[in-house]
Amino acid sequence: MAGVVLVVVAALVALLATRPPATETEVFTPLLGKTAPGITATTVSGQRFDLGSYRGRFVVVNFFASWCPPCQQEQPELVTFAYQHRHPGDAALVGVVYDDATSSARAFDTDAGATWPALVDPGGQIALHYGVRAPPETFLISPSGTVVAHIDGAVTASYLDKQLAAAGAAGA
Amino acid sequence: MSTRHRRPAASRLVWPALAVVLAVALTFSVSTHSGARTAAERAAAIDGNLKCPSCESISVQDSSASTADAVRQVVLARIHAGQSDQQIYRYLESLYGPSILLRPPTTGITAVVWLVPVVAAAAGLGGLGLFFWRRRRPVAVRVTDEDRALVDRELARRLDDP
Repeated sequence: MAGVVLVVVAALVALLATRPPATETEVFTPLLGKTAPGITATTVSGQRFDLGSYRGRFVVVNFFASWCPPCQQEQPELVTFAYQHRHPGDAALVGVVYDDATSSARAFDTDAGATWPALVDPGGQIALHYGVRAPPETFLISPSGTVVAHIDGAVTASYLDKQLAAAGAAGA
Repeated sequence: MSTRHRRPAASRLVWPALAVVLAVALTFSVSTHSGARTAAERAAAIDGNLKCPSCESISVQDSSASTADAVRQVVLARIHAGQSDQQIYRYLESLYGPSILLRPPTTGITAVVWLVPVVAAAAGLGGLGLFFWRRRRPVAVRVTDEDRALVDRELARRLDDP
């Protein structure tokens, strides 16, 4: 009997150990399928940003904070994603600072080598309009300006590519 | 002549008295919760019915989180813009989903949350009523000719036996 239990436990451990880590989860948001809320803001380096000027491209909007461990975990993946999609007209990446000091967010991005704009969100109004509860949360916006995916938790470059491919295949 | 005895006057007044108390309480409750309210009072009432988006089961009113602060700002701005309470709830629900509401909506699948206690209470009251009604109902006894003959025989036996 003890042998059977041991085998079952060992099989369970092996199964769990070989599973991919559950970092990102695509979750429902009432915004799915709707026009993405407009974003006009200032970046952490003081430049103006308008989401409307990105129409015609896929846009990944990532809400992050320097104090958030999953954000720290996903940052190198976002750097990879941004590099892979660096060509003009390709998918764009935009960060939105969530409940964090501008200086901390700027240092966080600089240290990681982030090349994409990070937006200041005074009063958390951008986060509110996207229904964000806790960072990191990532939204994929189609070239027509529709929210096509919402990912809760740390993302990977490959997962974002899969989402892009799925959205592209669906004609988003 | 009727054999029913009349209940004492005090006992007969219990139900009307309870009805009056209930009516007064309801009237008082409605009158104190309606009427003109200031924007701040309306905002506080709405904030109390909203769940802080980044917290665990704390209302926007009771939370100091930045997300709660953002919601408070939106609620106040929309009140000043002339929106009704329902419009504001619907707007926030369109962003966060129904989980932003501390009270589940009374429509859709969440209506079950409200319906189950009502149905259970109605079933319980109905069951109690049925129980007492059946206890008070006189039991109908059907006397057959055989029963009558048995009684006659027994009476005759006792009369014959001094």
